[in-house]
Amino acid sequence: MMGAWQIAWFTVACAAGATILMLPAGVLIAWLLARRNFPGRSIVETLVSLPLVMPPVATGLLLLVLLSRRGALGGMLERLGIEIVFTWKAVVIAMAIMGLPLLVRTARAGFEQVNSRYERVAATLGAPPSRIFFTISLPLAWPSVLAGAVLGFARALGEFGATIIVAGSIPGETRTLAVAIYSYTETGQDAQAIRLVLVSVVIAFVALWSANRLVERRAA
Amino acid sequence: MRPALILLLVLGSDPFQLPAPAPITVSAAVSLTDALTAAAGEYAGGGRGAIRFNFAASNVLARQIVNGAPVDLFISADEAQMDVVGQAGLIQEGSRVDLLSNQLAVVVPNDRPRTFGSIKDLADPAFRRIAIGDPAAVPAGVYAKQYLEKEGLWQAVASRIVPAGSVRAALTAAESGAVDAAIVYRTDARVALKATVAWVVPTDRGPRIVYPAAIVKASAHLTETQRFLDFLRGASAARVFERAGFTVIPTAPR
Amino acid sequence: MIAIDIQLKQGAFSLAAAFNLDARVAALFGPSGAGKTTILDAIAGLRTPDRGSIAIDGRLLFSSDARVNVPPHQRHVGYVPQDVALFPHMDVRRNLLYGRHPGISPDLERVVGMLEIGKLVDRRVTDLSGGERQRVALGRALMSGPSLLLLDEPLAAVDVPLRKRILPYLGRVRDDLRLPIVYVSHDREEVEALAEVVVRIEEGKVAGVDRA
Repeated sequence: MMGAWQIAWFTVACAAGATILMLPAGVLIAWLLARRNFPGRSIVETLVSLPLVMPPVATGLLLLVLLSRRGALGGMLERLGIEIVFTWKAVVIAMAIMGLPLLVRTARAGFEQVNSRYERVAATLGAPPSRIFFTISLPLAWPSVLAGAVLGFARALGEFGATIIVAGSIPGETRTLAVAIYSYTETGQDAQAIRLVLVSVVIAFVALWSANRLVERRAA
Repeated sequence: MRPALILLLVLGSDPFQLPAPAPITVSAAVSLTDALTAAAGEYAGGGRGAIRFNFAASNVLARQIVNGAPVDLFISADEAQMDVVGQAGLIQEGSRVDLLSNQLAVVVPNDRPRTFGSIKDLADPAFRRIAIGDPAAVPAGVYAKQYLEKEGLWQAVASRIVPAGSVRAALTAAESGAVDAAIVYRTDARVALKATVAWVVPTDRGPRIVYPAAIVKASAHLTETQRFLDFLRGASAARVFERAGFTVIPTAPR
Repeated sequence: MIAIDIQLKQGAFSLAAAFNLDARVAALFGPSGAGKTTILDAIAGLRTPDRGSIAIDGRLLFSSDARVNVPPHQRHVGYVPQDVALFPHMDVRRNLLYGRHPGISPDLERVVGMLEIGKLVDRRVTDLSGGERQRVALGRALMSGPSLLLLDEPLAAVDVPLRKRILPYLGRVRDDLRLPIVYVSHDREEVEALAEVVVRIEEGKVAGVDRA
């Protein structure tokens, strides 16, 4: 069997990549929604929540339409020689999109809990908004941002519906743990499937446990 | 600006890419996984090139192709999904063939073995729950319902039917004893560990089950794909399919 | 010289205040809820009035007619809020240095000496007493090199015996740094101790301007 641990490593690597990918945009959006009133704010709020509410397959289809050769984004990327659909890049992107809402929700709550007095005083001390964000808002909201990243990572690890649509189920190339488990159960290879399920559980346990430790230590 | 450049660099690079000449991409129904992987192994063993498989539900595969996913060959579990791709004008002219057929079978849990005299035995009230693939979405379920209707049994058993998300799920339901019988493919029944076959639907009475294959028009590797398709319709691939329980449809035109 | 003429409405509360301040130390005096803190917030740029103008020494900070609204980080106004708001994730030294701008800011040694907070410099903010926090917050505002200092109830959080100890520091700020101060208070005694000019605010309006 194609190494369970190989598939596991691939999945963890993609989920980690997805978490890194979703962090800058996610934290920025979370801060904007927490602190700034801007035109189109409710649209942004809704867009960010969509992957949480829509069936993952629908999100996957949307991504496929956008990123495939005929799609708006995909066409442009193809001219640059970059292929996304049916590659590991699609896995990372699908995971990032599905995890983003969780990151934004959690981080936003963290920013909202930061007493705005600190940010206002920082402004009177001459700090422009970007400096306030990096020296006051983010450090004070850090435990929540971290917790949001952990949730996003966990969601990415288990992601299936959108991934299989836009990245396919290509053994050795785009098969994550979740997709492989589906494939094995569908072909009657229950023993392999169970083995992968156990591997998934172990990884999820280790990831969440160590991340929670990190959050606790930070918040202390 | 710089983060965008870095992002482009990362996207353009490819640490996971296999170091081989461009393989052809084959989207195939997940029920064909083992048989096709074995066949492709023989193909590659003969030095004819690598095959990159994408196994998923046929409706998912069809939608991927319609939305421009880079697929060379499509092998579907039913004609309806192949028609979807055909209607979108994405099939290479003249390339569509009926590759394989399958048979339906009724399975029962191991601990309650039965052998049917005919399919009418299914109407026995002892079968309180009968699993089939969801007739609204799953090809195997569509076929099962067609068959039961044709045999005049549908009315009698309809209230006892449990629709399952996939034919695999129907089989698992029978294996676990959650249902008293399930209608699945003969190929699935063969690998079942905790369910036995009670009845195999004869080809002349059963629904017309076809696994069509076709080359996708937008393929960048038409010659290689045709070569693989020809191999799949040849003798050594036929042995692999028959060993798995499929019926190979002869190459002669109908 | 501070020239203020602003109108602001928030829910049931409306503020209309117009006055000029030309003293070294001025107080905004009145009962709670009168609108004193709102006026301070407006001067600092933390609140935008609906209409009006604010100018310091001829420099226009806000004008609804001229569509001018200088953001708070460019106003050079030092602010010590009522709840002090020292940054909890930084020690005293980093708090003090947060707003430092080379060339404009006074010497750290000088400010630390004047406020007698030398021993506190390496302490965590959470370890400080009420009076110590006040002085550190004052130092932090001073270290940003402002041209005006705003204090919101600077002595309210401090118990009576301590107040007499803090007042001299404010005096030093006024005298040594020659920095104009505007502070908010609802305590008559406090106001009389320091202020040269008292603007009485009641129910969102200026009730009178007294010279000490």
